[in-house]
Amino acid sequence: MATSPAGSVSGAARRRRIAARTRLDFWFDGILLLGYTLAYSYGFTGIGIHEWLGLGLGLALLFHLALHWDWVLRTTRKLTSPRGHDRVIWVVNLALLVGMTLCILSGILISRVALPYLGINLTRIGPFWSTVHDTTAEITLGLVPVHVALRWRWLVRIGRRLVAWRAR
Amino acid sequence: MKFLRHLAAATLVVAAVVAAGLAWGHFDPGPLPGPGQGGPGQVVVRGQAVKRLPPGFKIRPGLRVISIGPENLGLTSMFQAVNLPVLRDTVEIEAGVIAAVVILEIGQRRWRRARRARRLADVTRPPR
Repeated sequence: MATSPAGSVSGAARRRRIAARTRLDFWFDGILLLGYTLAYSYGFTGIGIHEWLGLGLGLALLFHLALHWDWVLRTTRKLTSPRGHDRVIWVVNLALLVGMTLCILSGILISRVALPYLGINLTRIGPFWSTVHDTTAEITLGLVPVHVALRWRWLVRIGRRLVAWRAR
Repeated sequence: MKFLRHLAAATLVVAAVVAAGLAWGHFDPGPLPGPGQGGPGQVVVRGQAVKRLPPGFKIRPGLRVISIGPENLGLTSMFQAVNLPVLRDTVEIEAGVIAAVVILEIGQRRWRRARRARRLADVTRPPR
């Protein structure tokens, strides 16, 4: 099939656009994983970095969710279809959303550095939120690698393409 | 524009989870009026509530102030080799779970392919 020069240019531009979005997803997800790993390692980072990193992760996760909102809608509509793989990913992602949100919320409520620095001093915060923070942190440590691993084929494919692209 | 719509929708979902979490915290009959995080007989004072004890202030017998200094931010803890095992443990757990899921996924895919191939062979086999 013959294509006009304008058509081929717009096609190339479109391909570049898709690649740019894929690159954004790949690197942004990588940074999120690195940020989460550091934020979880409280004893390594110390409380200051732990809290600020946690707050940053909260915003970044909102951005991540918005970037993949199309997938959320598409998969939610197809939940009743017999294909099982996406259903498993959907359930894992939902659990991760709830776990991560509660973890960050409880982290904000028990904050000793970031919130007082911003001039917010929460009183009457009992040990309930500390327990929630610890429990949800443990749960997310189990779910984050599952969330990553369920997309391992995509990660390997894009990783290989990026390495090949940089080697050119 | 589309991204902003998606961001608004995502924020709404997160807000619903936050509201549910706060309601859970509010109505939970659990250990809220308990002894505090420091354990029995200890009270944790957060934030800038107590900066320093006033001069001449006497602490009641039986009470002990563990730290009245500013919060140690631990900003240099990343540069101390003694803290590195904490990060290593996290990475090991993540790598272990990822490896387990990948192995399971590969095994499941192979099993599914083998089953499909067997079925196909049964269908295409000429009758005796």
